[in-house]
Amino acid sequence: MFMRNFLALCLILTSAAAMAAPRNYVLQATASNVGFETDFGPDKITGQMPVTQADLSIDFQNIANSKVAVTLDVTGAEASFPFAAQAMKGPKVLDSREFPNITFLSTAVARDGDGATVTGNITIRGVTRPEVLHAVLYRQQGAVAGDLSHLSIRLTGTIARSDFGAIGWNDMVGDQVRLDILAQIQRVE
Amino acid sequence: MARRNDPTHYGLVSRVIHWAMAVLILAMLVLGTKLSHLQPGLANLWLYGLHKTGGFIALTLIVLRLIWHRISPPPGPLGGGWTRQVAIWAHRAIYGLIIAIPLSGWIASSATGLDVMFADTWVVPPIAPVSEAWEHWGFLAHRVLTRTLMAVLVLHVLGAARRAWQGDGTLRRMISG
Ligand code: HEM
Repeated sequence: MFMRNFLALCLILTSAAAMAAPRNYVLQATASNVGFETDFGPDKITGQMPVTQADLSIDFQNIANSKVAVTLDVTGAEASFPFAAQAMKGPKVLDSREFPNITFLSTAVARDGDGATVTGNITIRGVTRPEVLHAVLYRQQGAVAGDLSHLSIRLTGTIARSDFGAIGWNDMVGDQVRLDILAQIQRVE
Repeated sequence: MARRNDPTHYGLVSRVIHWAMAVLILAMLVLGTKLSHLQPGLANLWLYGLHKTGGFIALTLIVLRLIWHRISPPPGPLGGGWTRQVAIWAHRAIYGLIIAIPLSGWIASSATGLDVMFADTWVVPPIAPVSEAWEHWGFLAHRVLTRTLMAVLVLHVLGAARRAWQGDGTLRRMISG
């Protein structure tokens, strides 16, 4: 669904201009979002959670040298219907009062086809577990080819909320949560 | 047609409240039982809201009914002997249950941590802490109390039917005063 936003979807990893060292990127706070989706009976609950921080270090020559750290704001989460947001933020699921953030810290990055496989630790409800996300970098809308100063990173993956003790309403809401994180990042010059 | 009760007759106010509650509570028992067998989804979420709204209307009616009884006491059961005693106790049990049932539903729903809505528009304040124990025991109480009410209502209806059969005027005075 985010694809629409990009006129020139170009795969940066394969076309990157030669650059020797890893470069640092930070979040462009606007327009960065975590989309998620889970099952609710025969239906789906969808929603978003704002990204508060994203710090990336990208080595276009040697992708394994890259690092990703993302922080999400649970208190700002929204869902497709009001009860779902309340249930999700409440003590039985994410418990946003106790645990206002979700964090992801990469431990290993590996080239994978058009993108990369990012292994890292996700902390939800204070529980930290290794998870694997798939990452793809895009050039931002309007940027000229070869301009790596502003990028979009899309991270997708699936987690089981029960792994983090977020088990509320597990008799009616699915355990599997599909994540689709889109962050706009800019290079630190 | 008198609005107030007198020592031998039900006035209009009591009769209207009685039959309104009879219809509402029967519908609520059916709807509640349906809910307990439902797999919740977007298509049926509104039924939970309907049930809660109906429950608050029932709770309001019972409070109005008790206030009205203070202003205008209802007549006691007709006849004597053991059936009179059974009728008195059945009525007390019904009053107790129809107060405790919506309260237990309200407590259990509050304990889930989700807003309890009236008519999909107003948030009803929670009356219990957000707690799985309160939720569990609240819904268990709701279930046990509603089952008990079903049993007492069977007795109540059979008693009324028996008296109607005997022609002692009990049913008629609740219908036409
Ligand atoms: C006259 C009032 C009410 C009656 C007669 C009534 C009746 C019932 C019955 C028969 C059930 C099924 C119980 C079972 O077999 O497990 C039920 C379930 C339920 N009731 Fe009520 N109820 C009333 C008021 C309320 C109120 C005021 C609320 C909340 C504010 C409420 C919330 C619920 C909920 C959420 C369920 C579903 C429980 C589940 O998912 O199994 N009820 N009700």
